[in-house]
Amino acid sequence: MTSSSRSFVVVSALVAAWTLLVVARLLQLQVYRHDSFVRQARRQQERTIEVSPVRGVIYDRNYHPLAMSVQVDSIFAVPGEIPNPRDTAKMLSPILGISEAELQRRLKSGRFFSWIKRKVSDREAKRVRQLNLQGIYTQKENKRFYPKRELAAHVLGYVGMDDHGLAGLELSYESSIRGRPAQLVIETDAKQRWRGREGRPPEPGQNLVLTLDENIQYIAERELAAAVNQFRPLSATVIVQEPHTGEILAMANQPTFNPNRYSDFPPDSLRNPAVAASYEPGSTFKIVTVASALEEKLTEPGERIDCQMGAIVLAGHVIHDHHKYGVLTVNEIMQNSSGVGVIKLALRLGNENMYRYMQAFGFGAPTGIELPGEARGLTKPPERWSKISIGAIAMGQEVGVTSLQIVSIASAAANGGWWMRPTIVREQFRKARSSMPPAPRKVMSEETAAAIRKMLTMVVTSGTAKTAQLNGYTAAGKTGTAQKIDPRTGTYSKRDYVASYVGFAPAESPMFTILVAVDSPRGKIYGGEVAAPVFKRIAEQILAYRNVPPSLPVKPALRQAAWTGQRQPAPADFAAELPSSDWNDAEALDGSGAAMLSIDSGVAAPNFISKTARSVAGESQLQGVPVRLIGSGLAYHQSPEPGSLLRVDQKITVWFKVGSAAGLAQAQQSTGVQAQTANRPKEDQPTDQGAITAPKRQDNPWTSPGIHKTGGATQRSVRPAGVTPIAAPG
Amino acid sequence: MGKYVSLKDFDWALLALLVAISGLGLLQIYSTTVHTKFAGAHVKQFYWLLIGLGLLFFLCLYDYHDLLNHMPILYIISLLLLVAVLVLGTDVAGARRWLRFGGFSFQVSEPVKLVIILLLARFFSDIPRDDVTLADTLKVFAVVAVPGVLIAVQPDLGTALTVVPIALVMLFMAGLKLRYFVMMILAVVLTLPMAVHHLKPYQRARLTSFLNPELDPKRSGYQMLQSKIAVGSGQLLGKGVAQGTQTQLWFLPVPHTDFIYAAFSEEHGFIGAVVGLLLYLMLLLRLLHNAQTAPDVAGMYIIVGVAAVIFFQILVNVGMVVGYVPVTGIPLPLMSYGGTSVLFTCMAMGLVNSIRVRRFVN
Repeated sequence: MTSSSRSFVVVSALVAAWTLLVVARLLQLQVYRHDSFVRQARRQQERTIEVSPVRGVIYDRNYHPLAMSVQVDSIFAVPGEIPNPRDTAKMLSPILGISEAELQRRLKSGRFFSWIKRKVSDREAKRVRQLNLQGIYTQKENKRFYPKRELAAHVLGYVGMDDHGLAGLELSYESSIRGRPAQLVIETDAKQRWRGREGRPPEPGQNLVLTLDENIQYIAERELAAAVNQFRPLSATVIVQEPHTGEILAMANQPTFNPNRYSDFPPDSLRNPAVAASYEPGSTFKIVTVASALEEKLTEPGERIDCQMGAIVLAGHVIHDHHKYGVLTVNEIMQNSSGVGVIKLALRLGNENMYRYMQAFGFGAPTGIELPGEARGLTKPPERWSKISIGAIAMGQEVGVTSLQIVSIASAAANGGWWMRPTIVREQFRKARSSMPPAPRKVMSEETAAAIRKMLTMVVTSGTAKTAQLNGYTAAGKTGTAQKIDPRTGTYSKRDYVASYVGFAPAESPMFTILVAVDSPRGKIYGGEVAAPVFKRIAEQILAYRNVPPSLPVKPALRQAAWTGQRQPAPADFAAELPSSDWNDAEALDGSGAAMLSIDSGVAAPNFISKTARSVAGESQLQGVPVRLIGSGLAYHQSPEPGSLLRVDQKITVWFKVGSAAGLAQAQQSTGVQAQTANRPKEDQPTDQGAITAPKRQDNPWTSPGIHKTGGATQRSVRPAGVTPIAAPG
Repeated sequence: MGKYVSLKDFDWALLALLVAISGLGLLQIYSTTVHTKFAGAHVKQFYWLLIGLGLLFFLCLYDYHDLLNHMPILYIISLLLLVAVLVLGTDVAGARRWLRFGGFSFQVSEPVKLVIILLLARFFSDIPRDDVTLADTLKVFAVVAVPGVLIAVQPDLGTALTVVPIALVMLFMAGLKLRYFVMMILAVVLTLPMAVHHLKPYQRARLTSFLNPELDPKRSGYQMLQSKIAVGSGQLLGKGVAQGTQTQLWFLPVPHTDFIYAAFSEEHGFIGAVVGLLLYLMLLLRLLHNAQTAPDVAGMYIIVGVAAVIFFQILVNVGMVVGYVPVTGIPLPLMSYGGTSVLFTCMAMGLVNSIRVRRFVN
């Protein structure tokens, strides 16, 4: 049996050898090349879909939402599952408003995934779901929603279809607002059926809190719109800055746009000239010239300078002033905006010093605000100056500045000499960035700042900006009227000017700095005529809103003027036209669209009847009228009664109750109707001695059609003409 | 021939290996079918296994010499049954492999393999060792070819091929001259193109896709590619019971029958696959050991034949799973789901034990 046992050895060896061979193969497949097979397995078993995270909410400084994300349906197809693309296209076409051919193309593109229509309306989604088509699915996606529509549109920017920020803060804070998208993994079996989904949910974006105050922003936008209505400029900008912190309280531009449907607007509306535009500032730049001269101790406010009857010769060129002045103090030079005066001061400084101060004051460099696309302005180095450049620059020509740069230097004068970086994002939400000018930095001494403040106050009290005088408050500022360079001829235009005003209030303890720049106004051109009144209207409303007690005797004029859509005449004009300081004249205004009266330090009580506690609180905040709220439901009684005159800080007590009549009133309230008569107590409360009853008319002085700019969709639904409560937006 | 039967000599080790492999098979059948319409298949398989073990013990007590004596008649009955299948069988996916008795379906080709083993064992035990003539060789092939062809035309090429190694291994053990082997291989090589010509289209597709699986991954090469992906993506430790994505997502074809080893390798990784392989290796070596210690030549040939069939099935099935061999419908013994295959294997093991318990014969 030896040969037999040899055969057994051979057979056993063969079996063992084969086993080794298979083990080697397994080693190769499962250990050495497993990567490739794992990849192949994944590729055929998993479909990855990126799911957008929910973008963070953008709030104003009081946590009122300005931008938020809402979930909407998007429709997609899994072409591999669709039995008959032609039939499917035929059924979808009328619902989605897409041609059958285009739908068929989408239904056939790819095998596993194809968008059909993204971010559809609820109705479209519902009808598609009702069809219950094979291979057609919906996916929740986030759509950016701006509840206040145009409000702060240029600051917020907008978001594209893929949920990426395309402009404004949505763009510059994209990385933190957007959040982290999730890779949704969908398991597919061999027959292309979806089996399950897994993966982490997307990481939501971070919220952003701005320095903007929704109410101030609204005031700024409303007044800017009014000015635009009146002067029909190419564009216009308002910036409101808190001088001590550099925080921007409002930034408004015209023309503006609705970021919810930004693609419907011309590109010009989408730009943010407040940061992106630079222009020759004209006379507002005289602040820089005078401040530099004071800082170098080359002059003092009381020094008398001969303004040579409005003409000065520079390198053989005669430069003419707009007015012929003789000898003026430096204060008066600023007050009257004398060109010759500032040229003389600039000549004392010399080219190098002038340039050095311009740079120190932040000109020629972006301020570093958190918004994208900031312009740096245009400052030539002295080597490239001509013989007369020093004269031109002294008056704000031959230099390009941005509105932010101008407002910042005015704020520096207001706050005692500190250049604060303009900022629009609250500190704890700010991103660290490199390469920004240092801030805060001392750019002028306390004395220089005080001297400039005094000069700018005189400009308002008795200089070129009397139209910026506030009722009850001091104000300071400087006007500017700069000829634009005509791009066709390359010379100064006879027709197009930039009318501007920069100033702050109250003059002695500034709370805010406001810049108004109007590009190419029609009808009137001077900063004092076009821009300063806008400052006045905005400043007065902010002071009222901030509940600042007046420091000057208040003229018996309108504390707040009604703003009608047409704005004819403008409230400021009309306040100026008031014949006397007699109280009773106020009654005469009844029919003329004015209403909220102010006498001494008091205001008229607003009408809170039939409003919700929430809306009363909002209105109270906006108007600066303190309230005490009792009960819940809808207001049925208030004391003092609507229209009564209020002492400073006098509280209005408002009673609320829940009831059927109140329910009706609420229904009306929610659609913006003021149910003034609902549930009113029979007996009128005794009014304060000497109180004046406000005009009893439907038009609440605080209401205006303009409010719907900030209102949500509900406010637009049912609204009788001109009747909308001005409840604080949001 | 003696009548001494020693149940102490029953091969418990062989039984343990059989139970271990069957256990892995049950687990894998459970795992691959739990989420499908075949859910519960592992219970059925378990009952088949119990019946198989019963048959195993029954055959163990039965003297194999009696069986050898009845072989010619059993062989003829087998051939008649194979013809009956072709005439009366039930069509399943274009092939007639099953005979239906009442509620039972029965794959005739499986017991036929046992009959061939026994018949050849009897034949070889009658001829002197190391003196196999060409005439003997031709006779052997004739005995194998008739049922082989009958099975091949069902068509069931895989099972038909299993009978070939029985003949080859037995010839080898009988000491067939090397030159005859060379001649046989030459004959196969020469007839292969002709055979390919007569293959069914799906059979030819399997063959070409085996030679070039990436050529058409969605069709013929699909099964082979999916099997390799399943095995490869199992990596070292596997994806876990019922976690094999290739299996659970239907990418792997028939994962509870022909491709059960691929599913097993996917879910238990390289470690599991090698453990399974080693169990089979031990089983085969145990069989060969038993063959070597058989009481007589006939017993030795029977066990060698059994080992040859089981090894060939493992070789082809595992080879197919890892991409060594074209796709054929040969089940993996003891692991693949299927009653007939279980019964055949258990009966074969019963025969082996029948020989073993009679090894100290006087």
